Amino acid sequence: MASSVISPAPTSSFINNKKDLGSFCFSSTSQFSVNKCKKSAVSKKIVSVMAPQQSERRPATTGSVKNAMTLTEKIFSRASEKPQLSPGDNVWVNVDILMTHDVCGPGSFGIFKKEFGENAKVWDREKIVIIPDHYIFTSDERANRNVDILRDFCMEQNIKYFYDIKDLGNFKANPDYKGVCHIALAQEGHCRPGEVLLGTDSHTCTAGAFGQFATGIGNTDAGFVLGTGKVLLKVPPTLRFVLDGEMPDYLLAKDLILQIIGEISVAGATYKSMEFVGTTVERLSMEERMTLCNMVVEAGGKNGVVPADGTTFKYLEDKTSLPYEPVYSDEKASFLSEYRFDISKLEPLVAKPHSPDNRALARECKDVKIDRVYIGSCTGGKTEDFLAAAKVFLASGKKVKVPTFLVPATQKVWMDVYTLPVPGSGGKTCSQIFEEAGCDTPASPSCGACLGGPKDTYARMNEPMVCVSTTNRNFPGRMGHKEGQIYLASPYTAAASALTGYVTDPREFLE
Amino acid sequence: MVTASSISFGANTTFTSSPIPKTKPLFIPHSLKFTTGNGRAAVTFQRAVSVIPKATSADSRATKEPTATFHGLCYVVGDNIDTDQIIPAEYLTLVPSNPDEYEKLGSYALIGLPATYTTRFIDENETKTKYKIIIAGGNFGCGSSREHAPVALGAAGCSAVVAESYARIFFRNSVATGEIYPLDSEARLCEECSTGDVVTIEIAESRLINHTTGKEYKLKPIGDLGPVIDAGGIFAYARKTGMIASRN
Repeated sequence: MASSVISPAPTSSFINNKKDLGSFCFSSTSQFSVNKCKKSAVSKKIVSVMAPQQSERRPATTGSVKNAMTLTEKIFSRASEKPQLSPGDNVWVNVDILMTHDVCGPGSFGIFKKEFGENAKVWDREKIVIIPDHYIFTSDERANRNVDILRDFCMEQNIKYFYDIKDLGNFKANPDYKGVCHIALAQEGHCRPGEVLLGTDSHTCTAGAFGQFATGIGNTDAGFVLGTGKVLLKVPPTLRFVLDGEMPDYLLAKDLILQIIGEISVAGATYKSMEFVGTTVERLSMEERMTLCNMVVEAGGKNGVVPADGTTFKYLEDKTSLPYEPVYSDEKASFLSEYRFDISKLEPLVAKPHSPDNRALARECKDVKIDRVYIGSCTGGKTEDFLAAAKVFLASGKKVKVPTFLVPATQKVWMDVYTLPVPGSGGKTCSQIFEEAGCDTPASPSCGACLGGPKDTYARMNEPMVCVSTTNRNFPGRMGHKEGQIYLASPYTAAASALTGYVTDPREFLE
Repeated sequence: MVTASSISFGANTTFTSSPIPKTKPLFIPHSLKFTTGNGRAAVTFQRAVSVIPKATSADSRATKEPTATFHGLCYVVGDNIDTDQIIPAEYLTLVPSNPDEYEKLGSYALIGLPATYTTRFIDENETKTKYKIIIAGGNFGCGSSREHAPVALGAAGCSAVVAESYARIFFRNSVATGEIYPLDSEARLCEECSTGDVVTIEIAESRLINHTTGKEYKLKPIGDLGPVIDAGGIFAYARKTGMIASRN
């Protein structure tokens, strides 16, 4: 595909020399991608870094008739300043937000400095969000060092958004610390419709819930973005998932995405965008939409999107003051495939070991004895996830039969667990209900044992055992031990399973 | 002094042409070894910056067709080998851009494979693998976006992966870092080859030869990714094509 190879722009380049990095600024005609120039006017105006596309002009097309585009294509179009593009095109895209954390930040910064110079400055100190969250509450020296590396870089570069933690013994003593990056991004108002958000984490796709393009990249790509604010991406074709019907009150968004991944397999959406529409989706809260988009990567998806609507705007009201402009798929846009689901007919699901697409009905796994339950992570550790689990414990009134670990994703979620009243409980908080049910005390917010982590990580699986988890992956060794068996499930299913000691359909308690 | 003609390689790797460009990329396949003209002590190029010659002005050589050949033992894995199996999360505290930790990462490559894989990728008490080539089924590298995955494989001594298909972030990271060549096979080679078979990959001919079974297989042409990996990853490629200025 010769057309997709980058051809060098003869008279322009990203950076004239290292000294200019600080004054580097792309000018843009779009009012919604205003880049702040650190110094006064830049001598070179970069218009494009690709040779202009030679498009054929069909005789029947005149004027400014554009081809219909999907939501994702439109975001690419605006971010690359190309009025027209198609899936398969490689384009240079302006990045609105770059996020990194303690596991990949140090490596990304290392590459940035090696490639752009020890004294290089990042492209925009306000568009980079640094969120330590993966290996925080551990005595592992390297893990602790990595958070220090983040701090050093942020101080040197004067990064505006760094959610630091210094006192590992008491997370509350750290006013800036948030916790799980994807939830922090949403809660702090960094997710906005129509924008491009990249992160050095596969679950960056979570932010697609806000109607933006969000995807995971590696350290080298991140190092490149740190210096230039741009990334070369291939426009993905879109798979459309139409979810209609009234959501039964024993189902959560986790069941929906497990249904979809089970349908198309772990590679079913590779290199593709997954667009979620339909009446069911419209009625989902922002957190539920985040759960839906979170596991897009488990189907191989490049990104997931939910079109922005009233729910989105309301959520963003008190979180961001930056302007944004949502985009929507044209009516006549082309989708690679369309899948339709009648949600009212679905039942609670699990993903059995060892693959997220190993879908099964929860009720068909009722003979599977379990050793523990884990409720946490960006997928299943948000406020609403804990409210859901509390609902099941409340309905049962009994105690759990297996150790039940609760890891709120962020400080705010932790606070909610301890302060928000659970509907129908007569004013009890989640934490009270969890205590009465015999769950472990909610832990310090972080990624926790979702991905195992250093050996002393809370709730890490250090021996082979069976766990029902609200997390996102269950490949061998995911939570620590290679022979561990992980059943992925919704918070309802996880709570129900904790109460019986077996994989359990939540209808046992909710109906 | 090392010149293009005096470059020779360790027993298992052959690089038939494409002399190292003057704007030496930071990330070069670590398995390159150079011996001086009279065969004196080999200098192994690793990621230590000090060993890499200073970059000069932009390389005037045109981007050539990749003509690399890889030869060595192959290690066979199945479908959906995810990043947790390639490099378990507990080792992610190692920072790949740090040369010592880069080597350590390599020593843990594929240590996450379950016990059903009776032959280890890296022998116990070793830090490098004897398998230059990995042959895999579908969706290789699925899971996390962690760049530690292709880096660990490259640091361990793997030069190329031939898979039925790849997960996109892993594929992209392989190209961006230039650590390993991610090649696509047309057939399910994981069912045709066995760990320990001696294979040769000819990139220009898009072909894999299994010397142990005597069979040949077609690979998908390397296409777009060739120039990027050949240059040594996206930074080197971006410099070569004028996207960003040369260093110094």
